[in-house]
Amino acid sequence: MPIYLYLDRGSIVHRLNPTVKVFALFIMFWSVYWVDHPLALLPLGLLLVAMAQLTHSWPNFYRLRWLFILLIFFTTLAWMVFYRKGPPLINTRIIHLSRASLIFGFGRGLKLAELLATSVLFLSTTKVEEFTAGLQRLGVPYRVGFAITLSFRLVPLFIDSALTVVQAQSLRGYEFNRGGPLERVKRYVPVVIPVFMGALRKANNMAMALEARGFGVSATPTSYIDYPIRTRDRIAFAALTGLAIVYFLIYYTGYGDISVK
Amino acid sequence: MPREPAQITTNVAAALEGVSFTYAGSDRPALSQVRFELRPGEMVGIMGASGAGKSTLAKCLNRIVPRFEDGSFGGVVRIGGRALDGERVCDVASMVGMVFQDFEAQLFSTNVAHEVAFAMEQIGMPREEIAARIGPALEAVGLAGFDDRDPTSLSGGEKQRLAIASVLALRPGVVVLDEPTSDLDPEGKAEVFALIRQMRAQGLSLIVIEHEAEELRNCDRIVLLREGEIIADGRPAEVMIQRKLLEECGVHPPDINRVMNLLGIDRHAGSVDEAEAIIRARFPHLPAAQEGTEAIADPASLPRATIEHQPPLLRVDHLSFAYPFGPRVLDDVCLGIAAGEFIAIIGQNGSGKTTLAKHLVGLLAADDGKIIIGGRDRSTLHPAETAQEVGYVFQNPDHQIFAATVADEVAFGPRNFGLDDAEIARRSEEVLSAVNLTAERDRDPFLLSKGERQRLAVASVLALRPRLLILDEPTTGLDYREQRRMMGLISELNRSGIAIVMITHTPWLIAEYARRVVLMRKGSVMFDGGVREFFAHDEALANSSFRPPEATILGRRFGRSALRPEELATWIKDSA
Repeated sequence: MPIYLYLDRGSIVHRLNPTVKVFALFIMFWSVYWVDHPLALLPLGLLLVAMAQLTHSWPNFYRLRWLFILLIFFTTLAWMVFYRKGPPLINTRIIHLSRASLIFGFGRGLKLAELLATSVLFLSTTKVEEFTAGLQRLGVPYRVGFAITLSFRLVPLFIDSALTVVQAQSLRGYEFNRGGPLERVKRYVPVVIPVFMGALRKANNMAMALEARGFGVSATPTSYIDYPIRTRDRIAFAALTGLAIVYFLIYYTGYGDISVK
Repeated sequence: MPREPAQITTNVAAALEGVSFTYAGSDRPALSQVRFELRPGEMVGIMGASGAGKSTLAKCLNRIVPRFEDGSFGGVVRIGGRALDGERVCDVASMVGMVFQDFEAQLFSTNVAHEVAFAMEQIGMPREEIAARIGPALEAVGLAGFDDRDPTSLSGGEKQRLAIASVLALRPGVVVLDEPTSDLDPEGKAEVFALIRQMRAQGLSLIVIEHEAEELRNCDRIVLLREGEIIADGRPAEVMIQRKLLEECGVHPPDINRVMNLLGIDRHAGSVDEAEAIIRARFPHLPAAQEGTEAIADPASLPRATIEHQPPLLRVDHLSFAYPFGPRVLDDVCLGIAAGEFIAIIGQNGSGKTTLAKHLVGLLAADDGKIIIGGRDRSTLHPAETAQEVGYVFQNPDHQIFAATVADEVAFGPRNFGLDDAEIARRSEEVLSAVNLTAERDRDPFLLSKGERQRLAVASVLALRPRLLILDEPTTGLDYREQRRMMGLISELNRSGIAIVMITHTPWLIAEYARRVVLMRKGSVMFDGGVREFFAHDEALANSSFRPPEATILGRRFGRSALRPEELATWIKDSA
């Protein structure tokens, strides 16, 4: 299964300057952060849907559809336990179902789903190299940016090796799912050790190969790809700034809140 | 600040002057007072057993030793006359290009062009210069037009060539290749060695570390290492005829030299043609090549008659399989495996060998067809339920080793099946002795050598006493001596009645040890028959993309099908 989400579609969003894309990621998180009410979150949701259509990213959303559904459903459910305000429709020792708790919980679920959707859109339209370049432009040191890039490459390798180790041990008659929760965690030792040792070896090999390719000579390496700033980047930047201000005002004026009478 | 690659103006491209290195925690030096010179435009092959110091020597050239490895370092390393003192590895990158065995660990980018650009970006080369160098570097390694491909989608050979391109783009004065083909299939190996020959023709100064002598016999010089010391340094013709010395050093001497050696001809042949001419000059009456080769009778290598009449241990019936949303990996595979057989499954990477093996042990479930094991349908059984009938040794022993001691590792399987302590102890003793690790029983498995870890992995699967043992490339990364020991162990197990199914890429292993060959191609079985039959089957060979062992090729020049140098030499002597 491919672990990268990047989809080479060449839409206008794909072609935006990486710095703008990293900025967009930040602004979407910012806007989602300030408001709680589902109605206030709705425009952002619609924007994300439009973007998914524009960038042809639906296959990634389809792959993660269960995650989205579960996220909204369980968050809504969980807040019925903790959010105990408003006149109850059902009130037991565990569940407090009210209009307010329903709206609040759904709002939280929507919030998380929008954060996830933003990330999926970002990764669907941005290559890891662009991510590093974007971070670098925003002042993040090259090494930090590169470490993030590298982790994208390592995760699939480790998942792959973990799956192989699980197979190897199960063929030696090992059962992973036995006993209580603690016992089950402990039973993963025969997987964790080989994966960990393998990761150390791999990391060591990578470190050698990296330095042998000159990594570390310069704190600010040159970049083969030029990321010029075009008109569309300026427009996107202005629009995103506007969005950030609008959402801060929604928060500031109290329209994004959930009022409980 | 951009740097210019090192211009080699002296008559020495690279030199080690009395270099010694002892790894921290080790009591014997990995390199001891090594003196070595590489002249500009020269290609030097470095050979020796695992642990002889080959990689350490290579790593001294770009400062990985001592910068990355703890230990005590002495002596001077010079590149193009300049002594590397206190330099970091990255400072040397544009002078010495290094290609490693683990190609997965040396690719960092999401597209091929970025990968080539990476090193140039690091040394601060201007964008225009980088852009101008990418095309020629990719063209040099035969990857022109691959610019936008994702490196993870390339074959092993292509990945390794990409790693070479990214090194060549810096135009280093010296290129060091540390076992660049160990993890590749025959096709990938051939690609990389063709590229090495081309680099040599262009006058690059090259150091190549390699186990198989055949690939190095046409280089300018061979350096043989043993226990950290150079014990031979000369032209291939001088070093390659010292068969005993090569074998002592864990190096597989070229087959054709072995044949000539057995015939009492102490000469080096650079190719099969040359060997044929030399042998014909000494034995003028040998017949010429003919259509349909005649087998040299060798009862030991013929399939045992009893096998034919036994019911199969395992039967594969019209098996087909595809990963979700992927192409078909197995296509209508039919196969029977009888008790006591020794089968080699071969084919290019991606031909379905490992996928088939994983079906046999139940790690994958077929879309179509079925597997019958001991009269039962495989799909109704959990993998663990048949672990005591079919054992599977994964390619990388480190995917299963986790215990604190060798004995615990071996006891893990039997313990999972709830055997009592006395039985576990009995089996542990038995299998540790079979793999010759009894003396290591209390050691930490992570401190064993690769060959020992591989044998430990076999032992820990054997402890379940399977009747069929599947081994996925059990000799990868082992030197000749370790390969021989591993194969000796596997044949011994086979003689004791365990059926062996071995996935491998190494022609001489198949010729000398297997009795039946199953050739896979694009998920189908293209050939299923005896080993001798296989090596005489031109069509099957053409499909398998690998060359027969040179003794076999040489034998066919005389109209004979031979699998081992000894066999061919005996026949030549007898017919003279």
